[in-house]
Amino acid sequence: MVTAVANELNGLSPQEYDHRLAEFEARINRGEKIEPADWMPDQYRQQLIRLIHVHANSEICGALPEGKWIPHAPTFKRKMALVAKVQDEVGHAQLLYRAAETLGPSREELIESLIAGKSKFSNVFHYPSETWADVAIIAWLIDGAAIINQAMMSEGSYGPYARALKRICYEEAFHMKHGYEMCFTMATGTRAQHEMLQEALDRWWAPIMMFHGPSDKVSTHTKLLVRWRIKLKTNDEQRQQFLNQFVPKIFDLKLTVPDKSIRHDKETNHWHYAEPDWEEFVRVVRGGGPMSRDRIATRRMAHENGQWVREALAAAAAGRSVPMPSAN
Amino acid sequence: MTDTQWPIYEVFHQQARGDPHMYVGSVHATDPEMALLLAKEQYARRQACVNLWVVPVEAITASDYEDADMFAHETDKSYRESWGYKTPKTIRSKDVDQDQSS
Amino acid sequence: MKPIESFDDLTTVTRDALVDLLYRLGDDELVLGHRNSEWTGLAPILEEDIAFSSMAQDEMGHAQVYYQMLHALGEPDPDTIAFSRKPREYRCASLVSLANDKNWAFCLLRQFLYDASETVRLTALCEGTLVPLAQAARKIRSEEKYHLMHGRSWVLRLGNATDESHERMQTALYEAYPHALGLFEPTAADEPLTLAGICPREEELRRQWESAVAPVLADAGLEQPETAQAAYGGRVGHHPESLTSLLNDMQIVYKIDPAAKW
Repeated sequence: MVTAVANELNGLSPQEYDHRLAEFEARINRGEKIEPADWMPDQYRQQLIRLIHVHANSEICGALPEGKWIPHAPTFKRKMALVAKVQDEVGHAQLLYRAAETLGPSREELIESLIAGKSKFSNVFHYPSETWADVAIIAWLIDGAAIINQAMMSEGSYGPYARALKRICYEEAFHMKHGYEMCFTMATGTRAQHEMLQEALDRWWAPIMMFHGPSDKVSTHTKLLVRWRIKLKTNDEQRQQFLNQFVPKIFDLKLTVPDKSIRHDKETNHWHYAEPDWEEFVRVVRGGGPMSRDRIATRRMAHENGQWVREALAAAAAGRSVPMPSAN
Repeated sequence: MTDTQWPIYEVFHQQARGDPHMYVGSVHATDPEMALLLAKEQYARRQACVNLWVVPVEAITASDYEDADMFAHETDKSYRESWGYKTPKTIRSKDVDQDQSS
Repeated sequence: MKPIESFDDLTTVTRDALVDLLYRLGDDELVLGHRNSEWTGLAPILEEDIAFSSMAQDEMGHAQVYYQMLHALGEPDPDTIAFSRKPREYRCASLVSLANDKNWAFCLLRQFLYDASETVRLTALCEGTLVPLAQAARKIRSEEKYHLMHGRSWVLRLGNATDESHERMQTALYEAYPHALGLFEPTAADEPLTLAGICPREEELRRQWESAVAPVLADAGLEQPETAQAAYGGRVGHHPESLTSLLNDMQIVYKIDPAAKW
């Protein structure tokens, strides 16, 4: 049973709180969505803000390791597709910050918290993208891992988040297919290309294995999130799904994974793997990764560099003297 | 830094002439024209669209979910529906009142 | 004048002039698309980031159209054209080569000045005699419509908003204007293209462009540089240093192995 913390009662008597909570949970158990105006426990609100905020931060920080390679994309198709993909990540951030706003904080506050280093973003974006092959691996495997997470979350209980995720999943499908096409092309290309791809996979494997979060044995958040259908599968379940979906394809491409213990147990349909270094995970998401400072500094630069523009447009609107030009 | 949070506009798009406008999401923008320009690329860069509406979020007044029960049709309202009316396709003699044949 | 249905109907002189024109058009689009894509993920506000990225994609797509036409005229395929030439083989105007320097006012204004020139040119090409080029120009022009609305909206707002935004825009205009005039650098191709009715002279396009941008700049409260000296050279392969570093960036992966598929 969830017990209300004192400040959460907001004038409700404990009996009334219990009644509201029971109604709230019954709604979730019936598979109904919670909408912004509905009563919700403070813990639900706070957990969701935290989760959506981290998700939105991850999209906008995730735009950076790939955005770095836009100027270097080697063909027209790759160049346009990569701009479109990074554009989608920015679009996802826009949708997600908006979903978070429905729970209270403004987008400006959420972004300021990110650039002050006060809120987190996904572990994978704390690492550098070193070669063009990293772009292929990120698009295929990180977007692939993200789809598993986001498709699950899109069935979650909070309406605005679930709606944003439906659209995000649709767009991620293009990212993953594009990523696989890039991996396929390099894996079936020259020896040097295959090596480049293998090296990228070797670099990204450990961060990807940590992507879905700490093992259920140590994760502190999962239980409550599952109960309130903010989350529908555990971290380990998602990781298993990822391995099932991608490891056979990785082997098809004549690539190896840098984990000698990896194997599939047919009887239990379970993948065995070396447990990731969760201490590294914690250190990285707290800002101790190789690119943590750099990512935040870049976001800060973009935000500060755009400050005068945002101020100016707000001022222009306050005057409301600017006519809409016609197209001709 | 001063707060540069822009107002919110809700965005509705129409996929083809004749279709209803559907709600697709929001943009932050400083004025309606800017909202239209920005909504075009956030909400119509893939999906078909022939027309966009943007509406300041404050302009929307919503009913309360607490009052959702007022929409429930608890008593018989079948008389409002076509399926609430049943007549045979052809008129058989047994359907006709005896009074008519006498 | 009689329409020219196919490239095969061109004289050698006109054909060579057309190749020159298509390189100029395609290179402008590619290099500007590249410059704009450097903003992706870093623009002043998320919604505008998305809009500007779309325009970057559009410009790259337009470059591809012109390069495909070049390929049909016997030049290499679009990827080879884009990724393997040396700076002096490029025919873009200096306006698009200049570095962004994180300067939103400059980039926005450059985009506006460029889009206005593109609209003028595309309208002329649509009315021109060369059917395949007129068809392509019509498609491209429909995308340019949004670009121009976008550019005007932003320029009008930023020019008239705060003292800071006005000053930044005015500085950007002084900087960009001579290079924008360079978009209309006369070349040896002017004569044959005009004679064949394919494209008007550059000086004629420049006049149309000036009368298109002047009222918007005036409405934006911006002072048009009256004595600006056009920055020429791009159309004959003389470029600012910034193009060399841009092309190094652009070609670095391609050049790992130009024969490979990526």
